[in-house]
Amino acid sequence: MTGLRVALVALVFLCGSSLAAPDVISPSLRVKQADRLVDLASQLVKINTQMVFENTGAEAARYVILVVDEAHTASMAYINAILVEPNKGGVKPMKLVETTVKGQERSGHRFYRVDLKTPLSTGKTVTITLETIHSHLLEPFPKEISQKEKQLIKYTGSHYIFSPYLVVKQKTTVNLSARNVESYTKLKPVSQADQSLNYGPYENIPAFSHDAMVIHCENNTPFLTVRNLQRAIEVSHWGNIAIEETVDLEHTGAILKGSFSRFEFQRESGSGLSSVKSFKTILPASATDAYYRDDIGNISTSNMRVMSDAVELNLRPRFPLFGGWKTHYVIGYNVPSYEYLYNSGDNYILKIRFIDHIFDDMIVDDAVTRIILPEGCTNIKLKAPYAINRLPDTLHFTYLDTKGRPVVVLHKTNLIEHHIQDVEISYTFPRLLMLQEPLLLIIALFLLFVLVIIYVRLDFSINKDEASENRLRIAGLVDKVLSHQLKRMTAYDAYDDQLNKLRQIKDLNSFNSSLKSVTSDLKAETQAIADHQTKLKSDGPELAEKVSELQKLDKALKEVLAQQQALYVEKLVPGKINRTAFLEVDGPLVKKKSDIREKISVVVKSLQH
Amino acid sequence: MGMGAFGDPRPKRSLNAEKQGLFSNASGWKSLITFTVLALAWISGFASRLFAVIRFESIIHEFDPWFNYRSTAYMVQHGFYNFLNWFDERAWYPLGRIVGGTVYPGLMITSGSIHYILHSLNIPVNIRDICVFLAPVFSGLTSISTYFLTKEIWSPGAGLFAACFIAIVPGYISRSVAGSYDNEGIAIFALQITYFLWVRSVKTGSIFWASLTALSYFYMVSAWGGYVFIINLIPLHVFALLLMGRYSSRLFTSYTTFYILGLIMSMQIPFVGFQPIRTSEHMAASGVFALMMAISFLKYVQTILTKAEMRYFYMIAVLGAGGVVFLAVVLLTYAGVIAPWSGRFYSLWDTGYAKIHIPIIASVSEHQPTTWFSFFFDLHILVTTFPVGLWYCIKNINDERVFIVLYAVSAVYFAGVMVRLMLTLTPVVCVLSGIAFSHLLGLYLKEEETMSTPDSDSETDDGSNEKSSRNLYDKAGKLRRMRHEQIKESDGLGSNVRGLIVMAMLMMLMMFAVHCTWVTGNAYSSPSIVLASYGQDGTRQILDDFREAYYWLSQNTHNDARVMSWWDYGYQIAGMANRTTLVDNNTWNNSHIALVGKAMSSNESEAYKIMTSLDVDYVLVIFGGVIGYSGDDINKFLWMVRIAEGEHPKDIRESDYFTERGEFRVDSEGTPTLLNCLMYKLSYYRFGELRMDYRSTPGFDRTRNVVIGNKNFDLTYLEEAYTTEHWLVRIYRVKKPDEFNRPRIPLSDRKIKRSKIFISKKTNKRKKGSIKNKPTVVKGKKPTKTA
Repeated sequence: MTGLRVALVALVFLCGSSLAAPDVISPSLRVKQADRLVDLASQLVKINTQMVFENTGAEAARYVILVVDEAHTASMAYINAILVEPNKGGVKPMKLVETTVKGQERSGHRFYRVDLKTPLSTGKTVTITLETIHSHLLEPFPKEISQKEKQLIKYTGSHYIFSPYLVVKQKTTVNLSARNVESYTKLKPVSQADQSLNYGPYENIPAFSHDAMVIHCENNTPFLTVRNLQRAIEVSHWGNIAIEETVDLEHTGAILKGSFSRFEFQRESGSGLSSVKSFKTILPASATDAYYRDDIGNISTSNMRVMSDAVELNLRPRFPLFGGWKTHYVIGYNVPSYEYLYNSGDNYILKIRFIDHIFDDMIVDDAVTRIILPEGCTNIKLKAPYAINRLPDTLHFTYLDTKGRPVVVLHKTNLIEHHIQDVEISYTFPRLLMLQEPLLLIIALFLLFVLVIIYVRLDFSINKDEASENRLRIAGLVDKVLSHQLKRMTAYDAYDDQLNKLRQIKDLNSFNSSLKSVTSDLKAETQAIADHQTKLKSDGPELAEKVSELQKLDKALKEVLAQQQALYVEKLVPGKINRTAFLEVDGPLVKKKSDIREKISVVVKSLQH
Repeated sequence: MGMGAFGDPRPKRSLNAEKQGLFSNASGWKSLITFTVLALAWISGFASRLFAVIRFESIIHEFDPWFNYRSTAYMVQHGFYNFLNWFDERAWYPLGRIVGGTVYPGLMITSGSIHYILHSLNIPVNIRDICVFLAPVFSGLTSISTYFLTKEIWSPGAGLFAACFIAIVPGYISRSVAGSYDNEGIAIFALQITYFLWVRSVKTGSIFWASLTALSYFYMVSAWGGYVFIINLIPLHVFALLLMGRYSSRLFTSYTTFYILGLIMSMQIPFVGFQPIRTSEHMAASGVFALMMAISFLKYVQTILTKAEMRYFYMIAVLGAGGVVFLAVVLLTYAGVIAPWSGRFYSLWDTGYAKIHIPIIASVSEHQPTTWFSFFFDLHILVTTFPVGLWYCIKNINDERVFIVLYAVSAVYFAGVMVRLMLTLTPVVCVLSGIAFSHLLGLYLKEEETMSTPDSDSETDDGSNEKSSRNLYDKAGKLRRMRHEQIKESDGLGSNVRGLIVMAMLMMLMMFAVHCTWVTGNAYSSPSIVLASYGQDGTRQILDDFREAYYWLSQNTHNDARVMSWWDYGYQIAGMANRTTLVDNNTWNNSHIALVGKAMSSNESEAYKIMTSLDVDYVLVIFGGVIGYSGDDINKFLWMVRIAEGEHPKDIRESDYFTERGEFRVDSEGTPTLLNCLMYKLSYYRFGELRMDYRSTPGFDRTRNVVIGNKNFDLTYLEEAYTTEHWLVRIYRVKKPDEFNRPRIPLSDRKIKRSKIFISKKTNKRKKGSIKNKPTVVKGKKPTKTA
């Protein structure tokens, strides 16, 4: 236990000291064998150096120092070291710590320390691969070409592997994109085979040796650079993540000199070899609703292919990109959130790519990713796979937002495909806040309806319109009168029916019993109308007049009916009257009745208006 | 929701609602039907304007809308006051254009305020989408205001008909499809609502309505130059009423209120400024105002004087007042205080005027006289029914129907003069056809209805509305059940004939709807900046060359580059490419346009002089010869020549471009002037080498179906900078003076001939003079003979 503690203390001490003091290049270490592969087949320079380190000294080495030379540091987009253990089966990424080295503080080289898990004891070897990728290192030469010419590039490097240790034996292979090589420096032994150049082996090259290697060759691969990438990721807890990328693209190869000829471009195959007509963007497999547009609308020339593991977009800019030409576009799509958003209770983790694929061997000079989280998120933390500059958070307002959505703004320069890695954003979001937006809508609509109700029900006019109110009241009264009149008329209809029945069946008892209800109805309705009539008298004398006329007619009708009833009950039923006499009396009565009804309907109609 | 504010008189509804359920409530039904029909009219009007958006995309169309869009975007970005003060240095180089003072800002303010409201509610709608969808949304408002206008004039039923007609009639759709972001889109709404308010205010004689009329007139003034139509039509209406002896205090109140308020408000628009009191177009309104005052004064005097005195006084006063007003106008015009009528105005009276005096107006296709075909094309069945409605209005004349009659007659005239003014005819045609259809259907459906079952309240909207318009309180449908109200056999037609007529009319309406949809889909829904062609198998190929070129300009030329093109493309270049143009669709400076026309029609070296004097960096031409696009610059070329000739008759002569037989042809028989002018060369540069397929001869122009006359030529002063995929747009860079004719030689290769140059052999040490070519004399030495 104590031993462990001592060891820990020692370790801490060691670490502390190593941080404070510059590292030392151990003279006892040397590189036994080094193989370098320089890939110039695209616009990127990919350098892969496999080195076998050997400890010749007595003391075990805890770390080795790797170095990137001055000329390559500025352009370096990516660096990685891998421990190669063929017998243990495979490769293992190692941690690189940037450091300074004694005696080299002033130089522009960048030094990295790789700590070995097991210190390298005397005579042992360890194999480490250093992988660096450089952007904008290939220089188009000549800088300007005409449309017919091929694009030539110039790479300037070193014949020797730049190493802080002595290199016993080394070889370099340079991969090119075409057979056509204008010139290359010839430090023997050197040979050209098809699309590659082989330098070496060179033996016993001392540390920090440099010997300029210049390769001038053809390279018509697309030299495209994303000058500025704005990526916005909008997370919705309702199941969707919307991603939109605004891309500023430039052809950074040899600049087009002179005129552009559409005729040659269309008719001659060797014309515009280095120009870029289209490129492929690969979106996540679950991407849907992709769009590709710019400031002035859709760019109509693009194809989307959905494959099992990705969605492939074949994007064609509005015009072919020649050297120095720029374009600008926006691409956007949706992905379902369940693939990227994880939660446990109210704690969420969003795992999403910091940048995504734009085209193969891409270079992104400057990228800003804005991650828009749902409204009400707190406690936002970022975990990045590599150093990312986090700018101050901002707020974003969109549909139904009140206090704004927090936005995490991330920024990084000089990115390549190897930077397509997930960033992790963890935050807390109370689930109840999900209801905020629907509630907001409900309340807004509710208030609107309430307002409408209030507006419709209440009178907001400044002056009281006596006349119209009066008119309304009268209209109401007339309405009531009319409805009572309607009922009364139905009662009369019933009365009529009964009389008819009586005439045919001559059943006096049933007639009398049913007549009772009819007469009571009639009485009630007439009374009601009379009541309304008195009310009307004060407000609308004209209408009251009409109603009284109605009442008069009604009385007349009633009288006629009474006469008819008398005729039926007293004469017809007992059989006191013969048929012709009866008809003589009854006929005029019926006629009179219909006349009165006619008149009543006229009055009713006039009331309706 | 906009309709909620209007609606039917409330009291009725609430009164009925208390007692009866919805189903027995006629006025409830009525308003429900009204709302439904108007909402459907709005929706269908909106939807049928979306062809272009669905077929292509949400994009601004054509030419002028691009300027409106650009100004709106500027206003949204920089604020309203900066917009009013905006001096656009990217147009009319080197003159520039004062945009704020030369634009009707109503459109921009409308969409700008919608944008503002939506954004203050955190609804992030792009200003472009607002601009694209503004006209379709306003078409719904137009149909509602048409409903109100027709309701005022005739009946609600007719109003619903008119609303439905205006929602889908092609004559209006042509100017208001989605993406056609132009003044007319909102101006027709303003026009209709102004007319509605005017009719309402004449009817009521209330200051309130007259002020509202003035307000909406103000909106119209801010939106469209066509406001002149209102400010002449309303005085005409008043004048006609006066002539008909229909003077009333209502008329007096409404007109005076409207005129004064409208005058003051219209002068607030910077572009209008003092025009309402200084130009002839506006004088009718002031004249009628003076007349109105005089008549009201007479009416007042009439109350004091006796009848005999009055007649005498009346004659003198009328004659005197008329004479004074006329003289005043003439004198003021003569003195220059009142500007005479503008050229465009003259061309309304004399269709040949523009062709002779202002070729730039005549060169625009929409300023041509209308053909009969286009009347039918734009209005279909309505063109035949609207005289019927007009006849009904004349037959049952009253104050407001006088207005619609005048509106119809004047609009028909103007529509006959200019295709573009079909737009002002369309609303009145819809109103009158609505009246005609409603009246006819009312006539034939009404009898049917009485014969049908008693509870037929749920009729078609036309029938029940027609009925209720006559019989507003007819809601006690049950009354009809009374026996004594038995139906009497109607006189006139039998049900079969009626049925046939109704059927025929419905058929016509159906055909109308089909026609409208077809016309909208086929003729009026092309954005014209994106072209589509259909292959034999029905696949669609999109030709996006315009945007390709404009976007190339915006991305790959320097920010201040000046682009010369014919004025048609000025707004598009400014809007899409954001580059400085020399001339654009504003066409305010004829001589500048003529200069560009001259450059296009001169030969290369002459053109180069003009181009360098105008600092031109790029020249853009439209060339349709490869795909057979007929609207290209060669086909427009004669207008360029004509306009150039108007200003530079010595240098450019139209006859030089015609063959001896008076033909304009680009093949080998074309005149040398034409075959060597800049426009020809820029259009056909390297086209002579292009073969469409193996059988055709190279240099075959598919638009004009000829093999071009001048094939192998090179450009000295310009170089091809970009040509789009289908050669539709060709952009050339103007070389700097040191670039052409002198190939650049690298310094190392330069040889300087020194043979003839005398080099003095004097040095600092040897200052003695010497004689040139003097034989050297060697003294004291014998020339040795070398073996």
